[in-house]
Amino acid sequence: MQQKEAQKLWLIAPAALMVSLFFLYPLCFSLYSAVTLDGALTLSHLDKAFELYSKDMLFTVIIVLVSVMLLAILSISIAALITLSPFRSVVGILGFLYRLPLFIPFIVAAQMMRTFLAKNGLMNNAFVASGLMTPMDTISFLGWSGIIITFVWKQLAFSTLLISGAMAALDDAQIRAARNLGASRLRILFGIILPQIAPSLGVALVLSTVTMMSVLSVPMMIGTGTPTMISADMAFRVDSYGDYHVANALGLVSYLICAGLAWFYLRQSLKDKGAAA
Amino acid sequence: MTRLHIDNLQVGYGNKRILNNISLTVEQGEMMALLGPSGCGKTTLLNALCGFLPIKQGDIFVGQRTISHLPAEKRNITMVFQSYALWPHMTVAQNIGYGLKVQKIKQKEIQTRVKALLDIVKLTGLEEEKVTALSGGQRQRVALARALAIRPDVLVLDEPLSNLDAKVRLAVRHEIKALQKQLGFTSLIVTHDQEEALVMADRVAILNQGNIEQVGTPEAIYHAPASAFVADFMGADNHLTWPIHPSMVGDSLAITLTHTDVSQQRQCQIYFRSEDVSLSPRLTDDDKISGLMILGEVMHSAFLGHDYRISVRCGAHTFQANYQDNLPEATSVRLHVPAHALHIFDHPSEASNAPLSNAVSV
Repeated sequence: MQQKEAQKLWLIAPAALMVSLFFLYPLCFSLYSAVTLDGALTLSHLDKAFELYSKDMLFTVIIVLVSVMLLAILSISIAALITLSPFRSVVGILGFLYRLPLFIPFIVAAQMMRTFLAKNGLMNNAFVASGLMTPMDTISFLGWSGIIITFVWKQLAFSTLLISGAMAALDDAQIRAARNLGASRLRILFGIILPQIAPSLGVALVLSTVTMMSVLSVPMMIGTGTPTMISADMAFRVDSYGDYHVANALGLVSYLICAGLAWFYLRQSLKDKGAAA
Repeated sequence: MTRLHIDNLQVGYGNKRILNNISLTVEQGEMMALLGPSGCGKTTLLNALCGFLPIKQGDIFVGQRTISHLPAEKRNITMVFQSYALWPHMTVAQNIGYGLKVQKIKQKEIQTRVKALLDIVKLTGLEEEKVTALSGGQRQRVALARALAIRPDVLVLDEPLSNLDAKVRLAVRHEIKALQKQLGFTSLIVTHDQEEALVMADRVAILNQGNIEQVGTPEAIYHAPASAFVADFMGADNHLTWPIHPSMVGDSLAITLTHTDVSQQRQCQIYFRSEDVSLSPRLTDDDKISGLMILGEVMHSAFLGHDYRISVRCGAHTFQANYQDNLPEATSVRLHVPAHALHIFDHPSEASNAPLSNAVSV
């Protein structure tokens, strides 16, 4: 019997080895490197990170929060349209269109946005050509607004996919029951659908947050240099100074921001489960 | 609660037509059952009534008002769903009071009405329970209370009992019927269970492939089915095509039809119920009795509880009869069906030209 147990452990060994070697080891090493200097514990890297980049940390948090809020509003609207709209053919087109960004990598999206949002980019040129603007009036969206636009555009597909999936999984009869009791579609969205898909919404937003925190190409290509996002600072510390300690300290801050959001989400979902039990 | 009148209704998906020219009236305070096999369009009719499906042609009136083109939320017709469709994130009281809240009725009034409804559906004291903590029967009662809370003009029930187990189903069936008598709501119930329809409804409409085959009281539908389909669907499980071709019956076996107005030449379909068959193990040749006489052999018998269902083979035909004793295989038996228990319909090829009322009853 015991031998059988041991055999089962061997079965998971390759996967466990891969995870520890390529994920746990680098993670622990980066945490270790963030708080040590020549083997001795120190907070100097973190001090330095805060001293040089506290503005960028704030900038990162604001960018991510604004993007996540916009994401929530937009993806709930699209998913609600898909679920509740009486115009089935329009819904079919929308259902196809919103998925497109799923298949476009961040770096391509960033490049597209750069040519689209710049002062002499595609968007402004189109406005000028259609006579809505003169070349003097055009403004560049490159910078914080461009970063938000790119993040929202790219992550919208993913979070809408999760949210509309959760909405589709609801029993259609629940929506019909509310309708024949006189509820409008908007009321059904807020009273019947959203409370039930809140866990999926949470997952979509937490995962999107983590993705946005880790993207390097978007702040590098669309950001204007300063302030910028933590991921760009980390790349800069490594590329320009070979300073892995401060880069890892910035990584630690990044983990903590994600962990804070994850904690908030978990607490909320546990609270909901507690109420249901 | 008001009278519901459906006039010449056509409903379909794309080019496929599901309901053909349905006309039906449910009087005020009446419970009408829509009965039919799966896929006959029963639920489609309810969905069209509630406004979940657009209609192609025809009109729906509630009282004097036409509602055919109103959106679902403006029709004041509520539905009780097969899956209950309760909202799991709300308590029992919140579920029942939702429609009232939508109508912006004061919280105090809502509480009083929810309490009264809970009394009616015998769920007093469960206001604050989560609906997920309730049993199937209780959930369906909550769904019923929720649908009745806004005092709809018409209540429609879509197979409300089919998710319940047999015993609970009987109890809830009687409760719904008692409630309907007590409150006098106009209602339309969809079911595929003929017994349920007979017990609950004041009148029954039989639906087949998007057409209404017959509308009538349960007694009329049961005793005088207007078509072969209705007879078959209402439990006349024995069927034979007249006249019998000699090759279909063996030498020692016989099917005779005496003292009825069916001549040897007339082409018709004959239906009868197994409980109307009297089976006798002795072979007597009695010409005087009228009706259908069949000589055959026992194929097998199945125990049903208070009696046995005997399958009797007569040449290529197999008939079912109820009998109080078990009979061994290959016993020779005589089956007799009195003339009044036979449902006789002209053969489809001829009947297609004749109206349904030409069906002969003997």
